[in-house]
Amino acid sequence: MDEKEFEQKLVDKIQADNLSPKPRWHFLLKNYVIWVAGLLALLTGALAVSVIIYLLRYNGWEMQEGTHKSLIEFFLLTLPYFWIVFSGIFIFILYYNLKHTKKGYRYPAYLIVLVVILASIILGGAFYSLGIGQKIDNILGERAPFYGQVFNRQITFWFNPDEGRLVGIISSEVEADNFDLVDPSGNVWKILGRRDELNHLPPDFLRLGEPVNIIGSVVAESQFKADVIRLLVPGRGFFSRPNIREGHEKCLRSNCQLLLPPPPPAMMIIK
Amino acid sequence: MIDIADNQNLSDGELVSLSLENQHNFLYLVNRYRFKLLSYIKRLTNVSDDDAEDILQEVFIKVYLNLNDFNSDLKFSSWIYRITHNQVISSHRKLKARPEGHAIDIEDKSALNLAADIDIVAGTDLNILKQKIIKVLDGLERKYRDILILRFLEEKNYQEISDIIRKPQGTVASTINKAKQEFKKEFETQKIIL
Repeated sequence: MDEKEFEQKLVDKIQADNLSPKPRWHFLLKNYVIWVAGLLALLTGALAVSVIIYLLRYNGWEMQEGTHKSLIEFFLLTLPYFWIVFSGIFIFILYYNLKHTKKGYRYPAYLIVLVVILASIILGGAFYSLGIGQKIDNILGERAPFYGQVFNRQITFWFNPDEGRLVGIISSEVEADNFDLVDPSGNVWKILGRRDELNHLPPDFLRLGEPVNIIGSVVAESQFKADVIRLLVPGRGFFSRPNIREGHEKCLRSNCQLLLPPPPPAMMIIK
Repeated sequence: MIDIADNQNLSDGELVSLSLENQHNFLYLVNRYRFKLLSYIKRLTNVSDDDAEDILQEVFIKVYLNLNDFNSDLKFSSWIYRITHNQVISSHRKLKARPEGHAIDIEDKSALNLAADIDIVAGTDLNILKQKIIKVLDGLERKYRDILILRFLEEKNYQEISDIIRKPQGTVASTINKAKQEFKKEFETQKIIL
């Protein structure tokens, strides 16, 4: 095909199909969509990172010795897997978008991954310091289904009385040697132990309405002997749910007497 | 349409702007790149001349449609080579055929450059060397053949190759290095056969 013939064929094709260059905004829009989607992925990933920092910081490290011999075992059991996977997905989306910007191919994958992870951690840290991680946890705690199983596994982890871990909300005035506690299922427990002998973290927080987790042992039906009590930090929203709140208020109205089984005759645990 | 004599002094970027104003100016870009790209298409594929012309026409239509996407951060030649490279891959996917380089034509200078760079014994007969190179390139894995064609037959530098195949320069360098090793290995093997 000679030069003129090729040119003519091309011109004929352009005219027959009525082709014209796509407008500039079409390409600008495509470019903006990639950047905006990347920015949204960064923000979402960073929000997840802020929750991870919040959950890990208040993971109950100081109580690890009372629950597991191995720090690694405790760490693996209490890691916020959902948030790690969630942030991983958005970090990947951010990486993918950066790689598909006009000049993204010029940078090696490891460099983009490094930048993306660092940006997510730095922004996530900033969100955490602004209290956003806590806010997200509180909102999900109040409303999200499967909160204790998915979003904050500390609730499930600490709600295992047979293994010496109990979590709940203080539902009575704290006496010198006992108080009442409503657990995540709405059941009421009598928590036993002399206040001045208890190791509680931080000191002097034991008061009505505080969510706490406790290391100890079941000594009788609905009675739990406490060794260590710690103020619950992530998961506080969970204890303002109506079913738990209802149990808590019912307990308060009745002084918890109607909800607790009678004490066994030889109950001499309280010193 | 601008005067033919003027277009020789215009840059590719200027011709892009003029093509956006008047579609007939696009033909200057077509003529500037037609033979280079046709040769590149033939080097990458084993299609007939007519099929290569069809691929080339598709390339120019894509270039025309996407003229507004070109920006001066990139060399126009890299941009049009990238479109051509992608169109060749896409055309072969449609035909469900693997590109093979039977139609490769090599200039004497390119053959000698390749031989010198890869450190192979060229021998005295340039035609035999060129035949061997074609045969060895044919036997290489696609990614190695394509990158050697860009580097030695199209004489593109690392930055241009990076822009054409959309890979970082470091990856381009390591792929070229690996391709040269594979080429040399294959060359040594085929030397016995020829």
